[in-house]
Amino acid sequence: MFREIKVHKVCKGKAEGEAIVTSQPISFYGGLDPKTGVIVDPTHELAGHSVEGKILVFPKGKGSTAGSFIIYAAKKRGKAPAAMVAQVAEAIIAGGALISDIPLVDQLDEDPLQVIKTGDYIIVDADQGSVKIKS
Amino acid sequence: MKLTLEEEAMLKGKYGPGKQKAMELTVSLGEAFGAEELVPVDSVHILAGGRSYDEAGIEWLEDLVNGGGVAHPDVYVTRNPGSADHELWREMGLEDDLVDLQKRLDEVVIRFGAVPVASCVPYLLGNLPRWRTRFCWAGSSGQVYANSVLGAWGNREGGIACIAAAITGKTPAYGLLIPENRYARVVVRPVDLDPDTLKEEDLAALGYYVGQQLIDKIPVFTGLPARMKIEQIRALAYSLPVGGGIPMFHIAGLTPEAPTVEHALGFKKPESILEVGPQEIARTKELFRRADDSHIDLVIFGCPHCTIQEIAAIASRLEGKRINPSTRLWVCTSKQIKVIAQRLGYVETITRVGGLVLADLCAGPACPMGVVTPKVKVIATNSIKTAFYAPGTSGVGIYYGTLDECLESAVAGEWRG
Repeated sequence: MFREIKVHKVCKGKAEGEAIVTSQPISFYGGLDPKTGVIVDPTHELAGHSVEGKILVFPKGKGSTAGSFIIYAAKKRGKAPAAMVAQVAEAIIAGGALISDIPLVDQLDEDPLQVIKTGDYIIVDADQGSVKIKS
Repeated sequence: MKLTLEEEAMLKGKYGPGKQKAMELTVSLGEAFGAEELVPVDSVHILAGGRSYDEAGIEWLEDLVNGGGVAHPDVYVTRNPGSADHELWREMGLEDDLVDLQKRLDEVVIRFGAVPVASCVPYLLGNLPRWRTRFCWAGSSGQVYANSVLGAWGNREGGIACIAAAITGKTPAYGLLIPENRYARVVVRPVDLDPDTLKEEDLAALGYYVGQQLIDKIPVFTGLPARMKIEQIRALAYSLPVGGGIPMFHIAGLTPEAPTVEHALGFKKPESILEVGPQEIARTKELFRRADDSHIDLVIFGCPHCTIQEIAAIASRLEGKRINPSTRLWVCTSKQIKVIAQRLGYVETITRVGGLVLADLCAGPACPMGVVTPKVKVIATNSIKTAFYAPGTSGVGIYYGTLDECLESAVAGEWRG
């Protein structure tokens, strides 16, 4: 059984996997190690957790404008998230997702931080404008 | 999105694959943010730190440039600092491969068409967007400064969006390019703080705290000093987008879109009032005093790049002293300011006591402090931005304090805060 939520497409594509959810904004630069896919910002609640191959669910980006390149560097090494779901995407993560071909959606009909839990299996289909959560 | 015939032609590849890719990115971003049209951009500032591009990002830019993706002739393009000082890299203890990586990026950035003003304060070095002109800047501190203090219009763009804008000469009309989105939504009111005793480091802690609280809402500050130096205003500009993702701010009675609090709010009621007192500032500073050891390996200034006034202050306080032999001191600035500092004798003073004045080098996110020999384990800095990024990018312990505390620590070889 899947519960479907309508979303706004930022970057095209489709991916599925296990969700990793945080309520804290992320600065990818200084926050994500592109060589390992692990969150390294010691002030972040996901510190020490890997986002590789997962569906990263977070409120929004913050911090350095170099974040776009970190997303790209992680993707080139196979350490990037499979897809990203943001409450509101801004240009730093959008630019990174666009050059890296990582599906990115935002502005969900329901708050993703409320309805998606870490470990949920979800399918992100940016082209169809939907996120499906397995229950 | 409505496109002109010219934009459509670029998107279809009439001007080659580099320009086509740039227009695809610009249009995709515009559509994602609900822009209805593209508008001309006058000023662009791009990232150019080897450590932040990584080899993958440099290859991406080389491919773009080789495909004809170079800066539009009507756009003035400058670049952020890099991850090496090309003259003093041996003295810094850098490895050849990072210096080579940075050289490779510097070359492609010049071929791209960016003027090599390698600094994060382009507005002090000739790239000065005017009131209501549109800019697209990477480097969050400059971006916030240009919106807030210069009254120019630009969004909080990422490194990619700025490269695309330089090539196409266009940026999507959304966000802060729409006047009604520039109003403040929250009033920030200092409580029990004497505005005239607030140092730059206090203002940066205030900005970081406000950024954490408001995430991306535009604040209007009240109760700040009636006169503020560039370094003080800049302390707010650079710290707000470290604590959060705030793209601009107003200071009532000081910044151009805020003759009064009411003007800044667009004569609407604020969503909320955020009170900040000495406790919030002290607690924020405490977040950035995290080290296992009180020995300081490196004292670093210049995030954002030091002004000539800051270098003068550092030189005068170090006169007649000696930096501890087990501690390094890096003062980071632009090449242009370094030339002036040389002429004024400051570089000689700082070098004589054991420090380095470094040019073209980022002292913050793209700084290579984590890969130098001998190894840097603990740093002291007066920049909350360096203090935020250094643990994640370089694995170092940090002490955040005032310029004087940092200089005393440099002389003592251990933290004196």
